[in-house]
Amino acid sequence: MKRTGILFFPAFDWSLGDSHPEREERLIYTQEQLFEEGILDLPQIKQFSPRIASIQEVLRAQALFPNLESHTGSLDAHLIAAGSAISLGEARVRGEIANGFVLARPPGHHSGATVWGNRGFCTLNNEAILVNHLRTHLGIKKIAIVDTDVHHGDGSQDIFYHDPNVLFISIHQDGRTLYPGTGFINEKGGPNAWGQTLNIPLPPGTGDEGYHYVLENWVLPRLQEFAPDLIINSAGQDNHFTDPLASMNITAGGYGRITELLQPDLAVLEGGYSIEGALPYVNLAILLALAGEDYHHVREPQKLERPVLSVAALKPYIQDLKKQYQTIKPTFKVQSKAFFPKGNWIYSPRSVYYDTEGFQETRHDHIRQCTHCAGTVYIESQRSASPQKAILVRIPFQACPECEQAGYDLWDHLLHHSEDATSGLLQNQLRDKVAVWQKKEGLTQF
Amino acid sequence: MSNRVGIDVGGTYTDAVFIHNGRIQHTAKVPTRSSDLVETIMDAFDTLKISDEQTISQITVSTTLVTNAILQNRLPPVELLLFSGNGMSVDALPWPVQYRELSGEMDFRGREVEQPDQREWEKLKSPDLLENSANVAIVGKFSHRNCLHEEQLASYLKQLNPALKIALGHEWGQANFYRRSLTTYLNLGVSDLYRQFAQQLQTAVSARKIKAPISILKADGGILPLAKIRPIDSIYSGPAASILAALTQNETTSSSIVVDIGGTTTDMGLILSGAPLFSAKGAQIGPFSTLVRTLAVRSIPVGGDSVIRATDQGFSLETYRLGPAYCLGGSVPTPTDAMRYLGLITYGDEQLAEEGLASLLPSERRTAQYLHELATAVIDTMVDRIAEAVSSLKREWQEEPAYKVWEVLHPHESQAFQTLVSGGAARGITTALGKRLKTPVQLGAFSEVSNALGAAMARPTFACTLHLDTYMKQYRVEETGEQGKWTGSLRPYLEVEEFLDTLVEQQADRLEIKLQGVQKEPFDFFPIVQGSRTVGQIVRGAVHLQPGVIGRVLV
Repeated sequence: MKRTGILFFPAFDWSLGDSHPEREERLIYTQEQLFEEGILDLPQIKQFSPRIASIQEVLRAQALFPNLESHTGSLDAHLIAAGSAISLGEARVRGEIANGFVLARPPGHHSGATVWGNRGFCTLNNEAILVNHLRTHLGIKKIAIVDTDVHHGDGSQDIFYHDPNVLFISIHQDGRTLYPGTGFINEKGGPNAWGQTLNIPLPPGTGDEGYHYVLENWVLPRLQEFAPDLIINSAGQDNHFTDPLASMNITAGGYGRITELLQPDLAVLEGGYSIEGALPYVNLAILLALAGEDYHHVREPQKLERPVLSVAALKPYIQDLKKQYQTIKPTFKVQSKAFFPKGNWIYSPRSVYYDTEGFQETRHDHIRQCTHCAGTVYIESQRSASPQKAILVRIPFQACPECEQAGYDLWDHLLHHSEDATSGLLQNQLRDKVAVWQKKEGLTQF
Repeated sequence: MSNRVGIDVGGTYTDAVFIHNGRIQHTAKVPTRSSDLVETIMDAFDTLKISDEQTISQITVSTTLVTNAILQNRLPPVELLLFSGNGMSVDALPWPVQYRELSGEMDFRGREVEQPDQREWEKLKSPDLLENSANVAIVGKFSHRNCLHEEQLASYLKQLNPALKIALGHEWGQANFYRRSLTTYLNLGVSDLYRQFAQQLQTAVSARKIKAPISILKADGGILPLAKIRPIDSIYSGPAASILAALTQNETTSSSIVVDIGGTTTDMGLILSGAPLFSAKGAQIGPFSTLVRTLAVRSIPVGGDSVIRATDQGFSLETYRLGPAYCLGGSVPTPTDAMRYLGLITYGDEQLAEEGLASLLPSERRTAQYLHELATAVIDTMVDRIAEAVSSLKREWQEEPAYKVWEVLHPHESQAFQTLVSGGAARGITTALGKRLKTPVQLGAFSEVSNALGAAMARPTFACTLHLDTYMKQYRVEETGEQGKWTGSLRPYLEVEEFLDTLVEQQADRLEIKLQGVQKEPFDFFPIVQGSRTVGQIVRGAVHLQPGVIGRVLV
């Protein structure tokens, strides 16, 4: 019998707004369903209590811009969701449980390497904070994140895009038809982690069979090839046919099968806003599948009446997508700044929209091409209509000496010749050190 | 003027105290005759020799009647009928009893998903059910949100056979279909036995021309009138009584570890800033998981009379008792003998204690030094087991789930604990226990009758938890299972407070208890949104009267 951990943190006193999808009501029916089933009385289920993540744990994975103070008023619930992921992840790695489900609000997978505010209902990336915690403190090296939320996990992708030790797979409804509008097949990883990102955009209407086909024929073989120490499932529930924001046709039973196929070490709740029609049933099915119990009797009262895309129709599409993925060639642009340490620096500009508050972030990302390690990262980030410009310097886990030195040089340059930058974060993952710099206040070490 | 009597029926002895204005006047101890508990109780009562029985203002009894009936498997047959619906397979959980599944399903808002199938009901007409007064428990998944199916089936069966004794699950209005089913089953199963007991006890007391009301102690440390308590709530009142006894001797805000050492078992509980710790789950009794609200307690099979057996490695402390300690005329050595040998207690024969302990040692080692080492090791082993259970209790406290941001931001502060030990063998382990738990240890006053003291000083507990769904226009009360129509507004505010106050008053009147010092929990409001429109609210609120005692006992 498998021992399955559950960390249920519904944040009943927190919302993003009265009638916002991310509101107090979101998990109340899930609570009713799980408690009424007596799921906590299953002998193999162990309930864990939430804890709050520390700022250092957050900064190890994400930069809070322009400074911490601008976030602290609104961070509590997010810190608890992230801390909850850490709690259960630790229990998994220590062997207290065989797998677990972090059933916590708020979600996190749209939150990226630099954070100016809330986007796609996310402020902190729970999985990323967990992943970097486990790598820092529990000796975990290779982790796969499989994002089964209907929306592209753009935040998680952003954080691990250059990391060869994290395989990020996102299966989602095609970005041409849904928020956030990214997650295409050509987003395949940075220069030092080419092929470590896999996006599988699916056409609207895909149902259980098609989804399972993609898992069995693409995702599982890729996971097997990578052979991670740990598999984390970003378990969004908005593929359900009753979801108000998306158009996929997955059933609660279909979610049970997804979980059974993926065999994640940890499932972490992401989105899913059919809070009555889907969540109570999907959450139950996922939990039962994790616990090795029969989930086939979990049935949502509403019937699936929309037309479902057949596997026969989906197959050629998937085969074509696969071929594109295999044949696509990297097109990296080398571009340095005058003060950059020696090496090939790949430049990629991007723009990120924060839908919750309605503003734009402009980013200039630079990564040091390296055959020995994940490569040091230098990111300039600016919020639209704001004079503030912030810098993230990341020295990766297992950085080679040259990349480590490059990171220090860049950080040193910022501290002494900041020019127009107003704040910065040094993410020294190699030495488990985090430093925050602000033009006015100076340096704070974590 | 208060004259209170407390009686605690234990496994071996039944204790009683008589308290006048907070001062213990008389105590009594009589052997328990499990075949006749009423006689035992009255025997203890009479042994108190209260001169003016008519002035007694309150009698409280803590009894093992229901606990033992369940643990000894003495329940009459109960037919358990379940509307189990879809979801988790019913047999994923361990069911200690037979059940029959019927179709018919509700959802978490109390909406009917599937109607029951009358044809299935026809097949229920077994000779068993048509027979005179069979017990039938009917429980539906989500019946605490809508009891329609339970009531439909009940009235169908009543028509078939008006003599049936039928219990409905929704009267246990908390979520958990599994526990609700077993709780309904057990409560129905013990109800005849309890009713008989209550009648006999009332008759016996009335025969002495005593008008004082009789109350029964519950697992949650509260009392209710003899005729009002739901029988199953009376399980595990012994450990609750020990914790109440500690409350009568503590500063009202202090935090304590309560350890009550009996002959065969030791009970433990926690008091946090004057409030006993509750178990987050309901009581577990034998193979039955229930919804019975209970204090968080641990009972371990180790006590002053536990048998010590010689082994190749030295000795082992067994989990059973074979009569009294060797030094008190028994046949086997026990921790009591170790205590006596070390001079930690003064009762029992010193010579016999030594003899008993010596029998555990090879003949060449029966010297003062080895005997001393052995006696110390026995007590340390006992203390280790107690300490292990205490840390499991503390873990339960620290690992309580939290569902709100506020709760996580305001965790329980770790507190400075003191330990309060009571029970026959208490004096013998105070020093060792203090060292092991690293807290000051205090010996309870009237340690030999502490459970009776706790019972005598107990006051009622009460809870009324409202679940209101203004969109469905339905309200439910967890503790009574009451379900009714909400006619108020979609987004009530002050209105719901008044509504809850009224429910509380009605419920307290029905239970015939007076409410003093109730705590109101802040309401939780969950806006119900459809599309982007708020169409109603789910409101949760509760009023509690926590377990406590009527005052401190004067020593």
